[in-house]
Amino acid sequence: MATPVPVLRLPKGPDLNSRGFDPNSPRYIALCRTTLATSEAAGADGEELQQEQHARSVLRERFLRCLLAMTNKKVRFNMHENVTVEATFGSSDIDVLNFQVSDLHTPIGVQKEALIRSQDVISFTFDA
Amino acid sequence: MAMRQTPLTCSGHTRPVVDLAFSGITPFGYFLISACKDGKPMLRQGDTGDWIGTFLGHKGAVWGATLNMDATKAATAAADFTAKVWDSVSGDEVLSLAHKHIVKSVTFTQDSNHLLTAGNDKLLRIYDLSNTDAAPQEIAGHGAAIKKALWCNNDKQILSAADDKTIRLWDRTSMDEVKTLTFDTTVSSMEYMADGEILVITYGKTIAFYNALSLELIKTVEAPAPINSASLHPEKDFFVAGGEDFKLYKFDYSTMEELESYKGHFGPVHCVRFSPDGELYASGSEDGTLRLWQTAVGKTYGLWKCVLPEDLGADNSEQMYGSTPEIKA
Repeated sequence: MATPVPVLRLPKGPDLNSRGFDPNSPRYIALCRTTLATSEAAGADGEELQQEQHARSVLRERFLRCLLAMTNKKVRFNMHENVTVEATFGSSDIDVLNFQVSDLHTPIGVQKEALIRSQDVISFTFDA
Repeated sequence: MAMRQTPLTCSGHTRPVVDLAFSGITPFGYFLISACKDGKPMLRQGDTGDWIGTFLGHKGAVWGATLNMDATKAATAAADFTAKVWDSVSGDEVLSLAHKHIVKSVTFTQDSNHLLTAGNDKLLRIYDLSNTDAAPQEIAGHGAAIKKALWCNNDKQILSAADDKTIRLWDRTSMDEVKTLTFDTTVSSMEYMADGEILVITYGKTIAFYNALSLELIKTVEAPAPINSASLHPEKDFFVAGGEDFKLYKFDYSTMEELESYKGHFGPVHCVRFSPDGELYASGSEDGTLRLWQTAVGKTYGLWKCVLPEDLGADNSEQMYGSTPEIKA
């Protein structure tokens, strides 16, 4: 009677909350080129890097505050194929892949709840 | 005492797994990418099956997926009429290449600088990844949707298999058709082994081996059931195949004898591939799972642990499972 080969554990499955690619894994740390434009340039000095990083933090903070300010406001989205729609903004997901909106006005009617793919959006405007 | 194969099931996909590919061996091990009809291809550690990440972005079923040799880039082909290139360390989408129809196959050249795509628009396209604004080179000729396209002969030639029941060999520079193989039925899969220039083709119940340069037949064998995919071991001593009867078959390459068959999947097997070190093979199925199988059953490798007869029955088994908890039909 053959015994089944023992196994240490089962393969780890996907994490339900994120898309993975752990930035703390040895491979990521070794291989992930930093996205700072100055650090890619040869001979980048510490000060330039710092300035760029500071600028990036400021822009990122502004973007996040913008998303906060937009909550429950009427927003107009300019999208590809000359599409412009208006909706009440809800929130964005963590990777900014989708925007959750309510009362989306589309040419075929008003959608009570919808998800807009952020990669389809070119720009959006709202009154603060 | 004989040991019974314990396949490792990798779950996570919610629809059939239609394609999978291994990377080469990198300083961080080797990796596996799976293409799934749920539109979310996944990257896994090749020797354990541990999930690393999911490539998010496709809007339709992903029909083909591949990794470059050092697993830094991934490419996927999907029903949303795009082929995408990804940074497979960060998971970010790097490039999206629009096509005129469903894209079925993607493959990198060895230096990762060019990408070959093919699909239902019956065209082969070569993209220069260092010059993405340039239009791709297009090769026409097939009369029906192309299922698979591969680089061969040191990336100097291209092999393509299509639903017009032909496999064609093309010269990359002149873009001319060099040779054509015609079959009575559609070819279900094609795999190329650079070392030895061997082409593994499956159609109906047949698994056939051809010389990839001359397209001359080396040998064939009939399996017990229609086969969807086959893979030759890097050392060319075995090959494995899977198909419509849900089983995995292992054959001896020299004698073409069927050595073993393994049950485990709950649906037809769509793809099967040997790992670059030949120690395991992975299968993707209609049941939405990937399974990893040992080549040498009982050997310690990855998550499999060899147990000597004296250790069995001792109570030191807090860390080991006798068999993976599987629901038996």
